[in-house]
Amino acid sequence: MPVFNEPMPRRTMVLFFLVDASSSMEGGKIGAVNDAIRNVLPMVNDISVNNNDAEIRVAVLKFSSGVEWVYSEPKLASDFEWLDIQAAGLTDMGEACRELSRKLSRSAFMKSEGGFFAPAVILLSDGHPTDDFAAGLNSLKRNKWFMKGIRVAIAIGNDADKDALAQFCLDKEGVFDVHDIESLRKVIRLVALTTSQIGSTSATTADTTKQGQVIAAVKQGIENNKPSSVEEGKLEPAEPKKDNWTDWD
Amino acid sequence: MLELKKGMTVHLTDGGTAVVEKELGRGGQGIVYAVKTDSGMMALKWYTDRPDDRFYDNLAENIKNGAPSDVFLWPLHITRKEYGSFGYIMKLRPEGYYEFTGFLRAKYRFESYHAITVAAMEICEGFKALHAQGLSYQDLNDGNFFIEPKTGHVLIVDNDNVFPHGEKSGIKGKMRYMAPEVVTGQNPNAHSDKFSLAVILFLLFCGNHPFEGARVASCPCMEEDAERRFYGSEILFICDPDDSSNRPVRGVHPNVIRHWPNLPGILRRTFITEFGKDRLLNPTRRLTELQWQSVIMAVRDNLVICPHCGEETYIDGASGCRCMNCRHSFDIPSILQIEKRSLALTKGNLLYIDRDEVPDVEVIQDKSDKSMLLLKNISGTKWSVDTPSGRTKIVSPGEVMPVKKGLIVTFGSFNKKGTIL
Repeated sequence: MPVFNEPMPRRTMVLFFLVDASSSMEGGKIGAVNDAIRNVLPMVNDISVNNNDAEIRVAVLKFSSGVEWVYSEPKLASDFEWLDIQAAGLTDMGEACRELSRKLSRSAFMKSEGGFFAPAVILLSDGHPTDDFAAGLNSLKRNKWFMKGIRVAIAIGNDADKDALAQFCLDKEGVFDVHDIESLRKVIRLVALTTSQIGSTSATTADTTKQGQVIAAVKQGIENNKPSSVEEGKLEPAEPKKDNWTDWD
Repeated sequence: MLELKKGMTVHLTDGGTAVVEKELGRGGQGIVYAVKTDSGMMALKWYTDRPDDRFYDNLAENIKNGAPSDVFLWPLHITRKEYGSFGYIMKLRPEGYYEFTGFLRAKYRFESYHAITVAAMEICEGFKALHAQGLSYQDLNDGNFFIEPKTGHVLIVDNDNVFPHGEKSGIKGKMRYMAPEVVTGQNPNAHSDKFSLAVILFLLFCGNHPFEGARVASCPCMEEDAERRFYGSEILFICDPDDSSNRPVRGVHPNVIRHWPNLPGILRRTFITEFGKDRLLNPTRRLTELQWQSVIMAVRDNLVICPHCGEETYIDGASGCRCMNCRHSFDIPSILQIEKRSLALTKGNLLYIDRDEVPDVEVIQDKSDKSMLLLKNISGTKWSVDTPSGRTKIVSPGEVMPVKKGLIVTFGSFNKKGTIL
């Protein structure tokens, strides 16, 4: 007779995307964000289904003039039907911090019998906050879930407020710059997959923290994705680092 | 760009080539491709995290020395350093083998308890051979094993972090499988492998994690400090006899709650000792694989066929000879005593005289006299049987002998003597 067992219990890891949907993101940038997240969700689902350590759920908060959750609770990637985010309005990043803090609570998003791993938060923005970012971030910094979590930001283009993003990550190494649509797509994918795998990946002796492990892996991934000697004996120089939004639309 | 594409050719240091056909999977360190080589289709693990020269040289050395045992899906050839990285060739995973992780997720099931003992025995055999060569695995976790659910046969994969004991591979391991001393900062070695091995054995037999009980379940957010406590400085076995604060929780850890009381006493006692404070704190005192194999052999001796329902059941569990399936109690009419081992002679039972998983004796019922049990020789060699009156009988393969008290059986090639009691 087969040995019938129940699946082992797993903790949940919530992957938060905080997406800047201000008017400057309009066109190609928000299009690339929509496309990248839509495409990465099935891969996140694969990771979630095939590991015995963490079930991964996804929550998306868009911020522009005000903030709004795409779904009212974290959802399994397989249940997350991605509806395109439209860009318009200001950059209420401070309010986004406050709203994230409100939901990072056992009375809000962080309730589950099986318990959680510390969350991973990915902030994407191309501009400067237009509200009181410092006050919002201060309230978020009092939230233990946030402080124990993994925090990574993607700075889209030269106008992104990298200082603000570095303050959000509490670590300027956690901010990754992208300067063209292809890199934006790739870095979203890389950051989402790396953070999703963190609960089921072996640590190296060099890793001090999971945040450090994620940052190192994303850097390595970006390095690997650079054009180089792909074909034998042929070395293509890397593209110079400049914004290239003109051909987006 | 470190990823390979279909049709690309990689060169092996021994002169061969491998042409990429398709991607099979990817993980933290690299990507596995199906490749066409001079000796047929193989798997290529290609590193995307560019390990250093020391790693490359160690891998080449491991390939030169060959697999410690057949259970390893060992690296066979290493590639030249090209396309910005390198990789190694191994055999493709055979059909019918599934990742142990899938068993823990209940996607796959062992077809019998016997298959679990086979898997446990083979895993020990593999690490015994590996450690005997002075090597350590360093990253033992649920993702390293492929198992055939029907037979329990095992393949150990991801053998690229294998380094000589005491040398650093650069990998610390995966939380939940790392030894407490590694969690709190030391480097992995052959002793920490033995801890991880014990965790894997517990998962095989009990289906839940040995250190995740009430204490761990009540932690709402498993952050890094909490992990260091629960799997390191404050690690506590869920069945610790002296501290019940981390017991399995009803509804959360149902597998261990069901299996633990059924397990033969020797296995329960061994886990209690191995996961007790002394062995957790003193890595050099941990059980060797050979000692584990003796324990698993005893477990196999205690796995019998219930005379009532015909299903497998352990004896020597908390409730003695009571079937864990149909709940009927039964007697063991006779036993075959081989040194310290007591093998139960019940109808339908298979006996293993040596350590391999091929049965040597089948206990059957006499067709004309159902009260009489017979031992059928299903081994490849003759037995000689001494009767109490001093006669000697020969039982050739395929032949049977009666179960009668006082008979002494010499199992030819195993050099073992058993007495029917």
